[in-house]
Amino acid sequence: MKDIIWWCAARGVEWTWTWQAYPGVWLFVAGLVVAFFRLERRSVDEGLSDASSAAWRRTAFLVGAGALWLILDWPIGAIGAGYLASVHMVQFLVLSLIAPPLLLLSIRERDYRAIARRLPDGPFRAVTHPLVTLATFTIVLAVTHWPPVVDTLMPSQAGNMLLDLTWLATGLLFWWPIVAPVPVRPGWGYPTKMGYLIAATLVNTGTFAYLTFTALPLYATYELAPPFPGISTRDDQTLAGLLMKVGGAAILWTAITILFARWYRESERGEPTPA
Amino acid sequence: MHEPNRLMRSCRLAFSAMLIALAGVACSREDGSADLDDATGWYGSVLEKPVPKVDFSLRDTEGRPFEFASETEGFLTLLFFGYTNCPDICPIHLASIAAVMRDFPYELRSRIKVVFVSTDPERDTPERLRSWLDGFDESFVGLLGTVEQVNDIERSFGLAPSFVDPAQDSESYMVGHAAQVLAFTPDNLAHIAYPFGTRQSDWAKDLPRLAREGFGSGKAR
Repeated sequence: MKDIIWWCAARGVEWTWTWQAYPGVWLFVAGLVVAFFRLERRSVDEGLSDASSAAWRRTAFLVGAGALWLILDWPIGAIGAGYLASVHMVQFLVLSLIAPPLLLLSIRERDYRAIARRLPDGPFRAVTHPLVTLATFTIVLAVTHWPPVVDTLMPSQAGNMLLDLTWLATGLLFWWPIVAPVPVRPGWGYPTKMGYLIAATLVNTGTFAYLTFTALPLYATYELAPPFPGISTRDDQTLAGLLMKVGGAAILWTAITILFARWYRESERGEPTPA
Repeated sequence: MHEPNRLMRSCRLAFSAMLIALAGVACSREDGSADLDDATGWYGSVLEKPVPKVDFSLRDTEGRPFEFASETEGFLTLLFFGYTNCPDICPIHLASIAAVMRDFPYELRSRIKVVFVSTDPERDTPERLRSWLDGFDESFVGLLGTVEQVNDIERSFGLAPSFVDPAQDSESYMVGHAAQVLAFTPDNLAHIAYPFGTRQSDWAKDLPRLAREGFGSGKAR
């Protein structure tokens, strides 16, 4: 059992395209799938499932969970963990900006309300306050890209798993005020949500500039990794910084556009802006 | 009254936290360099006893004899033993040195010679070695000799001789070899060795000083 590699980590061995199993990743994704479909089955049993919303929620969940599987498993997970910072950045974008909103969209409003009822109101409101979630996202983004942290965590499976799950948890928290209907906040409508996402496009500027414009390699993990064909360490780092900025902005502006479109459609119909 | 105050406090706290995080990134070291050895003033490992340059002769990749001592006289010379099929140490060392040297002005680059001696003459043909080294830097010198010749040279520098890993099959075998780069200053002595794990930032700091001022400049720091 101890020879099994459960989660990707920087191993310091020459890269080969020989398939490698990561059962920890499979168990994690399988756990998500089982949890989702158990909830779904319960709602069908209780006669609460409406076919059109169920199809949409299932699609959101499957795309989100599929994206997680794709970037955590071989080969992307292995390359990102030990060979290319740019691939690690793609993992960051999926874990924090793509998969979380899709997973949150797959939860029924009824279940959100059940979550809110079970949690103490004060701490729940504080933790999911947009200023807190944005600040948490900013801090986690900066700390988890700081070279000593990356170089300490990446060589171990547990460290890399901690990093991946921290990004996912931070992403869920970051998207909560945008997607989740609870807690209800007066004045928190489409314009403020769009403002929140626009602010989020700016908070990675420091880390982006640090990665993109530092001439020398920052991460020992990638600098001293066996060479990956086709890209130098320096180009890889620059690409990672650009992906963070451009990829992150593309995802956030897509979300902003969707919110704007929904706001416009609801205004046209004369519906009140959700608070 | 209560709500706006709480909101203001949350805003201030969140804003401060974001500023601290951003400042943390901005104020951290500009590179990932290892710690400077305060006792010596160098990022490489200072050798207890400097290693003198040995006057050996091997063929370069064009088949010409290369007299190590005379050809490198007056240069900062980085000497490294390895092989082109090496999966990690050799390409990482050479890629790091090449990347750092590309940033140097011509005046500085022209003071440095990188000499790579193959420890795998079986597979490293002159053409293969030349093409492999050109992938890093066309100025790198590649030398070839018999296993016995190369092992004798390694011993003369106080390095362990290379060996073929017996666990490997005959086609894709690995060669065990010394992982450090010896840096000979113009006084014809190697005072510093650079082990595997030397970062580009370390090379970028040590090489200009070694090339321009020699080893003595380290103590002045």
